[in-house]
Amino acid sequence: MMNTGITGDLIEVLFVLILGTAAFVITQRALRSLFTLYAIQSVILAAIAVVLFAEHRTVSLLFIALLTLVIKGFVIPAFLRRTLVVLPTKRDIEFSYLTPASSILLSAVLLFIVYTSFSNVAEVLFSDRLFFLGGVIGVSLALMGMMVIFSRKKVVSKIVGYLTMENGVLLFGLFIAEMPFIIEVLIVIDLFMLIVLSTIMAFGIDSSIEAFHKKLTQLGMRFED
Amino acid sequence: MNWNTAVYIVMNPLFALVLSPLVLGLIKTVKARIQGRPGPPVLQQYYQLRKLFHKEIVYSEDSSFIMRLGPYLGIAFMLTASLFVPMVFIPQTGWFGNIILFFYLMITAKFFMVLGGLDAGSTFGGMGSSREMTVSSIIEPVTIMSCAALAFVLKTTSIPEMFRTLLAGSIFSYPTLILVGISLFIILIVESARVPVDNPETHLELTMIHEAMILEQSGPKLALVELASGVRQTVLMALLINVTFPWGLAGLAGCASLLLAAVTMAVKMLILAATVGLFESLLAKIRFFRLPDFFMIALFLSFITIVFELLR
Repeated sequence: MMNTGITGDLIEVLFVLILGTAAFVITQRALRSLFTLYAIQSVILAAIAVVLFAEHRTVSLLFIALLTLVIKGFVIPAFLRRTLVVLPTKRDIEFSYLTPASSILLSAVLLFIVYTSFSNVAEVLFSDRLFFLGGVIGVSLALMGMMVIFSRKKVVSKIVGYLTMENGVLLFGLFIAEMPFIIEVLIVIDLFMLIVLSTIMAFGIDSSIEAFHKKLTQLGMRFED
Repeated sequence: MNWNTAVYIVMNPLFALVLSPLVLGLIKTVKARIQGRPGPPVLQQYYQLRKLFHKEIVYSEDSSFIMRLGPYLGIAFMLTASLFVPMVFIPQTGWFGNIILFFYLMITAKFFMVLGGLDAGSTFGGMGSSREMTVSSIIEPVTIMSCAALAFVLKTTSIPEMFRTLLAGSIFSYPTLILVGISLFIILIVESARVPVDNPETHLELTMIHEAMILEQSGPKLALVELASGVRQTVLMALLINVTFPWGLAGLAGCASLLLAAVTMAVKMLILAATVGLFESLLAKIRFFRLPDFFMIALFLSFITIVFELLR
């Protein structure tokens, strides 16, 4: 059981910050800032896990925080930034179906819908108001990530949408379903492999093998010709 | 009326009037330094106003009484609006402070400026007025939403009451104020016609909004119009500062505490001015038809503030 003292307040501040970064992930055009936003979001998530650890003393929470901080806060953003060296575009200005303004509006509506549908089961499912809040924000963040995936046209920013979605799932997992630590690790490894593969695919899909090798060499991956 | 209220009525608008040229000057200096220029002296705006007050007034022969009356009305409405946001200490009375009335007073001031822009019959004035009204009508729902969010979080529509509540609590009691703060910052940028929305330094016909409207004003009238927009910026900055970081605001009027509060407020104001200058230097002007995207962020943040407060 969570007591709503200073930890509760701190977590609420972090929730607010997560929602703030989500808004900017939807609208940001410059790719570099998009990656930085994702990194910031992941660091905030790690901070939430640390605060939860301070409250519950479950060691796996600390490991989740560490894993999130290292892989999602630093390694994945760094990898994404390296692809910018090869990528011809630095800004993603193409949107399909939804303009940033309308996706922002839609995500506000999404948050509200998730809130109303969750409040029906809140009594049974959530032991605490804060857990309810975490659940709602987690699911909304996942839905916002999904929206980024279908409203962006560039594959690189679709990847950020996917990552945001995963962050939402992690947030939901932190507050609702206690996942075994090993599953968390596997998810992160999966995520990492997926990012590596999809970024490589993202800028290699239109080139021949030789040109592709050249691009990979620029990324720092050596190939014998 | 007790002396507390009397001191407040004199001091608050005066504080805004005196400080606003300095704030404008500091923003200019920060921007110039970032661009690698020495820039004008920080006190340049004061010299500018003195110069303007000593000049003669020239009116277009097509202009009517609106042109002559507009600047007075503008500054009058702005000074009245400045009474609504306590900058140095929180008054004891509940006479003024309704946040909705506050924003409408500011809009009325803008309305007369827009009429003045149309009045002289120049094409630039008309263009500027048209753009200003377009931007205002888009930012309007955002402003109202932010007011609603503030009122919803702090359970009051009176600005002095909000500040009093905030002084008693901490940021942890109202975490959503971070989001409202970002919304208010965007509103500040829009209302004071700063970079991603308008460029206060250019007189290029393609980009100017605010400057186009006041092109036909001259001499002391121009000085009044500039003072009015300076006060508008200062008052909005004060609102933003006191919502996000109210500490230092005096709860009661006493000589020493007043002086201390005034100095603290001035320092906070100058820090915010430097931040605005930095923000302006980092961003390029947004294309006119893309502006709604920028405003939507503010709308979204205010909206989720309300949802978040429902959740808590």
